[in-house]
Amino acid sequence: MGFAMTLANAMLVFRKDWMEIRRNSQVLAPILIVPLVFTVVLPLIVILVPSVIGMPETAYQGVGTIFENLPPDIKAIVEGMSAQQSMTYIFALYFFAPFFLIIPIMASSVLASDSFAGEKDRKTIEALLATPLTDGELLLGKILVSFVPSMAVTISAFALYCVVVDVSSFSLFNGAILLPNLLWAALIFLVTPLVALAGIGITVMVSLRVKGYREAQQLSAILVLPVLGLIFGQIGGVIMFGTTMIMLLVAGFAVTDLILFRVGLRVFRREEILMKSV
Amino acid sequence: MPVISVSGLSKSFGGLDAVSGLSFDVEEGEIYGLLGPNGAGKTTTVRMLACIISPSGGTAAVAGHDIRADPVAVRRSVGVLTESPSLYERLTAEENLTFFARAYGMTDDRKVSGRVKELLQFFQLWDRRGEKSAVFSKGMKQKLAIARALVHDPPVIFLDEPTAGLDPEASKLIRDLITEMSQKERHTIMLCTHRLEDAEKVCSRVMVVNMGRRVVVGSPDEIRSEVAGKAKLEVMVANPSTALVEAAASVAGVSAGAIAENGRLIFELDDLNAATPLVVRALVESGARVLTVNTFLPSLEEAYLRLIKGDGWDSR
Ligand SMILES: Nc1ncnc2c1ncn2[C@@H]1O[C@H](COP(=O)(O)OP(=O)(O)O)[C@@H](O)[C@H]1O
Ligand SMILES: [Mg+2]
Repeated sequence: MGFAMTLANAMLVFRKDWMEIRRNSQVLAPILIVPLVFTVVLPLIVILVPSVIGMPETAYQGVGTIFENLPPDIKAIVEGMSAQQSMTYIFALYFFAPFFLIIPIMASSVLASDSFAGEKDRKTIEALLATPLTDGELLLGKILVSFVPSMAVTISAFALYCVVVDVSSFSLFNGAILLPNLLWAALIFLVTPLVALAGIGITVMVSLRVKGYREAQQLSAILVLPVLGLIFGQIGGVIMFGTTMIMLLVAGFAVTDLILFRVGLRVFRREEILMKSV
Repeated sequence: MPVISVSGLSKSFGGLDAVSGLSFDVEEGEIYGLLGPNGAGKTTTVRMLACIISPSGGTAAVAGHDIRADPVAVRRSVGVLTESPSLYERLTAEENLTFFARAYGMTDDRKVSGRVKELLQFFQLWDRRGEKSAVFSKGMKQKLAIARALVHDPPVIFLDEPTAGLDPEASKLIRDLITEMSQKERHTIMLCTHRLEDAEKVCSRVMVVNMGRRVVVGSPDEIRSEVAGKAKLEVMVANPSTALVEAAASVAGVSAGAIAENGRLIFELDDLNAATPLVVRALVESGARVLTVNTFLPSLEEAYLRLIKGDGWDSR
């Protein structure tokens, strides 16, 4: 009974926020464009275009370091392939994986910035805090409106990415379908939800301290830095996306989320939210 | 029994005492004004009474609920027009009200839409219900924000600066609507304002506050006569003299008399209606050739400015 009520009220906040977000291009644009770049534009340039128009073998030498530093099990798989096949394989299945961490981070922090800091910015928070909705209901509703669309975007981006990759691999590997596979399913369905929650948690904390949407966004953008580290690491061939990495990510983000959740519950007090905005 | 009962309410921000030991009662059905200059502590007081922020000291009961012990019950029983309109600009007028109706616990769809329609019609916004509130004028936004405060039909309503930023015409409309609304639905209303006109035309009782403290409480008339000094009678005579002044000043109800620089005779009266004919008769009997007689009521503005400057007035 108590929980059904909490959920109903949280959904009320969710629907209200979603109605606002749907009409806000400042929020919609980045969470639609960035995934499109990562799942369609970049893969097309790197995978599909070379496989269709053909590339001279020398073009692959620039990425030679990646191949040299490949972990032995992957090296064994790509050894029998042509240069073009192995490049497509490595890029499609490994190199692009970290981008799928950026999508939920970016989406969740944009959405949470709008939902929390944006409401302070637009000075609508006071009337909301004057209602009998509890702190928990407000927090849950706003977490949901940041989480659900983030995951919808991430999963859609993954579906789109599978299509793009498979279209290019279909001819290259004689009708073989590369994606989805188990590793990627684990990435999308285990890791990215935890990543989105971490993005929300950090953004909520930041939003409590800052004046408005823009500041919250800029501060939360710092979250992308470790992921960029991962990408550059891969270019250098240092880290490789695989089962171990998935397990490390799950463990790391689960702990982070737990800490954020506990701290968040403690600091999310309606009076604080209002007073920090004055 | 008072609907709002406040005792020793205080709030400090760091070292600043925004509200210091306010105590007052508001009776059911009253429109109670909180009048004071910017920074007097009006908004802070309303925020505490509406359980948006917690007091640093003292307490209050609103609609029968203690603001410290049962803030949720208080929030349920009050409607607030916040200092800034706090409207969702991307939502339509109707969507704004519907969301808040639900947030205040109204679950029956038919009741919600009925109430929303009733309020939009009352505030002359029904034809614009489908437009985003972003396109509304300031006056329309203010009307919509007042409608929002009323949406769950709360017994107590707080209106924080309902006419701020509006032109005189829109201000008058809002004042009229508040008066009409208080007659139509029996709410107890507390209205904060820095504008005398609002307090004078809308409120049955007014508490003047300054620097977080209560200065005086009373009806606008009481405040005017208590604080602004006495009513004045100005008589122009063809033959001014101190003898005439002395003759008239001895009449009962006259507290002072003098000759002004322009030769007119000025008297301060306790009660204009009672003393004016007596003064004029005394003057005529003493040989004055009276040309004109003018009376001046003290203005509330004069009273207010005196109070705020603290002209010898004990503000404790
Ligand atoms: N959140 C806050 N933090 C610090 N000082 C505040 C805060 N809110 C209000 N004040 C201060 O408290 C005093 C009273 O403010 P307020 O209640 O808004 O006055 P009014 O509504 O009468 O103009 C002012 O000096 C204001 O600067
Ligand atoms: Mg104010």
